[in-house]
Amino acid sequence: MVLTPRPLGIEHMLDKQTKIIGEDRVLFEHIWKTGKNFYITISILIALVLLGLYAYITQYLTGLTVTGLSRQIFWGVYITNFVFFIGISHAGTFISAVLRVLKAEWRRPISRLSELTTVFILMFGVGSVLIDLGRPDRMLYALRYANFQSPLLWDVCSIATYLTVSSISLYLALIPDIAMLRDLGGRGEWFYRILSLGWRGTEEEHHRLDKAIGFVSVLVIPVMITVHTVVSFVFAMTIQPLWHSGIFGPYFVVGAIFSGVASVIVVMAVLRKVYHLESYIKPIHFNNIGIFLMAMTLLWFYFTFAEYITVVYGNEPVHMAIFWSKISGKFAPLFWLHFTLCFVIPLPILAVRRFRTIRGTVIASISIVLGMWLERFVIIVPTLTRQRMPVQGAYYIPTWVEWSILAGCISLFMLLYALFTKVFPIVPVWEVREGREKAAATVAGRITSYMPETGAPKEQSHQVS
Amino acid sequence: MDFDRRGFLKVAGLTLLGLSVKPGWQVFSKEEPAEPSPGAETLARKRWGMGIYFRKCWKEEGCRDCIDACHRIHNVPDMGTLKEEIKWIWKAPYEKVFPEHEFEVTEEDYQQKPVMLLCNQCDNPPCIKYCPTRATWRREDGIVMMDFHRCIGCRYCMAGCPYGSRSFNWRDPRPFIKKVNLDFPTRTRGVVEKCNFCVERLAQGLIPACVEACKEKALVFGDLKDPKSEIREALKFRTLYQRMPELGTKPKIYYIL
Repeated sequence: MVLTPRPLGIEHMLDKQTKIIGEDRVLFEHIWKTGKNFYITISILIALVLLGLYAYITQYLTGLTVTGLSRQIFWGVYITNFVFFIGISHAGTFISAVLRVLKAEWRRPISRLSELTTVFILMFGVGSVLIDLGRPDRMLYALRYANFQSPLLWDVCSIATYLTVSSISLYLALIPDIAMLRDLGGRGEWFYRILSLGWRGTEEEHHRLDKAIGFVSVLVIPVMITVHTVVSFVFAMTIQPLWHSGIFGPYFVVGAIFSGVASVIVVMAVLRKVYHLESYIKPIHFNNIGIFLMAMTLLWFYFTFAEYITVVYGNEPVHMAIFWSKISGKFAPLFWLHFTLCFVIPLPILAVRRFRTIRGTVIASISIVLGMWLERFVIIVPTLTRQRMPVQGAYYIPTWVEWSILAGCISLFMLLYALFTKVFPIVPVWEVREGREKAAATVAGRITSYMPETGAPKEQSHQVS
Repeated sequence: MDFDRRGFLKVAGLTLLGLSVKPGWQVFSKEEPAEPSPGAETLARKRWGMGIYFRKCWKEEGCRDCIDACHRIHNVPDMGTLKEEIKWIWKAPYEKVFPEHEFEVTEEDYQQKPVMLLCNQCDNPPCIKYCPTRATWRREDGIVMMDFHRCIGCRYCMAGCPYGSRSFNWRDPRPFIKKVNLDFPTRTRGVVEKCNFCVERLAQGLIPACVEACKEKALVFGDLKDPKSEIREALKFRTLYQRMPELGTKPKIYYIL
């Protein structure tokens, strides 16, 4: 071979491209190819976002009178959204961080999509509280005159930390993929160049990245638990009947992971279909998460049962009045609908192997997501009818403003999500590749290290990978 | 000493962390005493309270002199609907206010009689600690105050108050005020309001407007710390009720049988 320097021609470029893309062309394709359906979807989403915006402007100009809220029931859809959206955000941590810590290899293709769900939906959780304010122009007073005795300030601290840590976690795992996009060149190269932080992909860099991601994954788990605990404290710290409950912290955390994991299943199914990721996001993923979701269904039932049985057995009139309004009173249809959606429908689907297919888990998940929104509603609103107080005719029917803002929030979430997939790969290419190249060997090594030593005791192996 | 980038980042990070310890500690640890009111000591010598005679109040049916007087001088709007109602002092049926006084054998006819309700001016007010901006606080003489200019309208104090004493301005209240009293501020939309025990009148040495307006003298007002005051005389040797005393809020409104 004679080493002749070759000019960097088109051939060389193509060569380099094929090397970077490798077998994972489909993972990049959704960035490059934009079909007609994408534009249609985006247009519908933008229309809904504008509707939500119009509703909010109406509310901003005339006051909260345009909602169905009243002197008695002064918290409704917005506060429900707040609890619900923040609940969904627990998914990312579970799927990505917990599975990473547990070294579950199958997490690789789905870690980014769940982290992204977390980061984006969290913003809408925060936004829902701001939408609910009577004087949004004064919202920064909460920082300027901060009263740390108020559970709302605990929420501010906890959610801000969670948003920071989960954004960092999302970004760290993006760096190697951003570097790939930079190396591929083309449009937006300067953008990827800045974001890739000069990543070259050396052993040393990978080692540090692994350490950093590992650290953040461990850090984010307790933060996640504090988030929904203090969200529940907003209610539990008051002395209102059926809110003032010590079980609310763990109950809300369980509900949050429950709804969050269910929504990740829905997101997975949509992305799989739309971006042709069938060979990456497989039935086994839906099956594995489905089993976990079944366990969460039972856990959710356990907490719901424990919450209500103590009330019923204690039989205090003040609490029982609210309880009966849920069981057989004016909130009964909503209560039983939420119970059906959260428990009766998903449990058999998730419990039977034959039904735990992609379609089955998606149906169960949609049911759970809807049911959990209703659960938040059924926790918040009936208590505010306040049978303890001399109040007549407490009623609450959300208006078009509240529904439009809810639709706008969900649409904007999907819009941001869709735009993200036009800029970055939604399946972490480097993680999948790392799994393909190295995981089998490391897992084999790990299994060997679990096995009881046979024969003569050899040198103790402390190596755990 | 020579630094590589990692070393520099470590040192810089630790320095920043170290510098933030003190302010961080101050923010989270200090039980910041609420800024004392001007003349806090003088105020603290008093503890305002109110007594309400059931029987005197029931003498004239349909009377709303106290409500009208209060709402007139405080620019409380008449929103016209139950949904957006704003009220500082109002009536509710006895059986709803004191459900624990109703027994199977009760034959008295007072169950449907009205009971005057207003902010209880609790010694241990559950509402104030929920406020994220300290827009509501307890003054040294026991009056639970409200700053309409700092309230962000989150309505958490309404969730905190077990008595339903607080109202929210769902829309701009000004068009709903019959005649604006220029001596008292009006509110904007999106803030919470409630009875203030007529602090502005107390400052001028006057008694609350509701007490003054009652022809039957069913309301008595005064300093609970002064054993010779009118209110202490009124409460002496009488059967007294308070709303939900079991909550430990220590209301300063007494109902006199």
